[in-house]
Amino acid sequence: MDQQFLTSMAFIFLSFALYIGIAVYNRARQTSDFYVASRGVPPVWNGMAIAGDWMSAASFLGMAGTVMILGYDGLAYIMGWTGGYLLLTFLLAPQLRKYGRYTVPEFIGDRFDSHKARLIAAIGTMLISFVYIIGQLSGTGVVLGRLFEIDAAIGTIIGVVVITIYATFGGMRGITWTQVAQFIILIIAYLIPVVFMSLQITGNAIPWITYGEIVTKLGELDRDLGISQYFAPFEQTNKAQFLALLFCLMAGTAALPHVIVRFYTVSTMKAARWSGAWALLFICMLYLTAPAYAAFSRFILMTEVAGQPFDALPAWTQTWIDTGRLQMIDTNGDGILQWSEITISNDIVVMATPEIANLGVFVIGLMAAGALAAALSTAGGLLIAISSSFAHDIYYRLINPQASEEKRLLVARLSIAVATIVAGLVALDPPGVITQIVAWAFSLAAGTFFPVLVLGVWWTRCNAQGAIAGMLSGLVVTLTYIILARYFGVSLFGIIDTGAGIFGAPISLLATILVSLATPEPSQKLKEEVMDLRYPEQMTYKDGEVWLHENR
Amino acid sequence: MKKLDKQVANAYYYTRVKHVAIYLSIWFIVSFGVVAFADSLTGFNVNGMPFHYFMGAQGALIIFVVLLFVNAVVSDRVDKSFGIDEEANERLGSGKTLDH
Repeated sequence: MDQQFLTSMAFIFLSFALYIGIAVYNRARQTSDFYVASRGVPPVWNGMAIAGDWMSAASFLGMAGTVMILGYDGLAYIMGWTGGYLLLTFLLAPQLRKYGRYTVPEFIGDRFDSHKARLIAAIGTMLISFVYIIGQLSGTGVVLGRLFEIDAAIGTIIGVVVITIYATFGGMRGITWTQVAQFIILIIAYLIPVVFMSLQITGNAIPWITYGEIVTKLGELDRDLGISQYFAPFEQTNKAQFLALLFCLMAGTAALPHVIVRFYTVSTMKAARWSGAWALLFICMLYLTAPAYAAFSRFILMTEVAGQPFDALPAWTQTWIDTGRLQMIDTNGDGILQWSEITISNDIVVMATPEIANLGVFVIGLMAAGALAAALSTAGGLLIAISSSFAHDIYYRLINPQASEEKRLLVARLSIAVATIVAGLVALDPPGVITQIVAWAFSLAAGTFFPVLVLGVWWTRCNAQGAIAGMLSGLVVTLTYIILARYFGVSLFGIIDTGAGIFGAPISLLATILVSLATPEPSQKLKEEVMDLRYPEQMTYKDGEVWLHENR
Repeated sequence: MKKLDKQVANAYYYTRVKHVAIYLSIWFIVSFGVVAFADSLTGFNVNGMPFHYFMGAQGALIIFVVLLFVNAVVSDRVDKSFGIDEEANERLGSGKTLDH
């Protein structure tokens, strides 16, 4: 029990006490609380909750490491995970808000007036959220594994228990405010080490201004070592893969069920637009910082760690080597650690750097609490998406429409517990690094939901048969490509598993349009409901005319 | 409720669509456009780093945020110029919500 362990535990316990306190204070009293927080969250706070919900273990733990290892090519994640908010806010969020349902499958089921479409959408939502949550649990495993100096798998089990207890408690209403708290904790935890590193390396405390010259210096260091320069474009991946990944992450962002549902918690279309703007502002606080984090980490590793004799390596190296995610092997046998002899996993860069930079026990403890906040807040949102798809869209709307409120809440809570445990089992031996697993979820969302949602909102002629064909073809193509590319080495145009949605989405779009046109038009009522989404709440489209509600 | 002149209703919709089309064009150019030509945009530095890297790490993100706030402000103005009142929206929005 060293000082570091006790400090980290103290931070984690304090932050958990805060989340549970908030969840208990705001616990769900009725169904609309559980799913959409009674639709009264102000936009700035909703923006913060979206940011907390959005920024997962992949953002907090994985992204800086990915940029550090891939250089310029890692920036696809930075641009993709922010640019998607434009598609979401311009094309979908306000319109879906006006339609006024609880979940994405419910929108699809009611918009197309088809239980079959509802069922497919519910299964798609559960699958996407499930893949996503594996990444979160594997992230909790990394943090807890390091903290207790145990195998990441045991860390994952502890994470599963904590998340299950905490997410079954509050539902959406509790989660909104815990997510706000989690955002504040994770952003403070992320910014502090970067500011200190900036001060250490450049003497200036504003990392966003100083790290540019470090990026240029990294390029020079690389050139001296005879490797490709850090900022050189398309060295690790090719341009087609970069563009494909960029598209998948953007379209996936716009179509992720657990993000869309956060826009249902505000009161109007206007509030949805403002929520989107605030959310991206808060998200960019971290996303503008991650490349700085990556540059400083790499600079410290290259200049202070590499070049040391093997028998004089600092103590932190051993604890990370023990977790199995850091390797330092003297391949040329000269007793000196070279840059090329360090193999570091994307997932540990953020957690390991404060130790490497010697930032002290408080910063490291705060990082642990921040990383858990990021994983927990997203896991909470994902579990709500899974449980509402099952309990609301499948159980209540399809199987048992007479179910009482208590029974539906019970089914919702049970499905959360089951989903967490099953995802935890998969996360014991994660099928990839965190950002990669999460990118699959985005590809699946881009291929399955993005074309159908956009067409469903903007194209009146789109019908149930088209939507079903679109979702199924998109899902099958994307999933098949991920499996073929990941396990069988198949690759078209150099695009790997994470960019699979680039094939799924256009096929889904085409299938939706062609099948819709080949089958009968949707009813007049459905078409009018879609026309209605083009106007603010005060305007209503009815009988081929637009009506304006008078001000009271 | 009063019937809205068809031209007024269309004008509202086309104004909004036009704005969204402009924003999405800018979005496309600063992200996909810059990436597509990244190899030839490496020559000069902005904020201490090569231009293509700056756009990916900072430039595009800042433009995204600005576009979303511009959209929020301009949309509010458009709504206002068509006589839309947010309080009425809130009242109608909560009334129209499907609750079950």
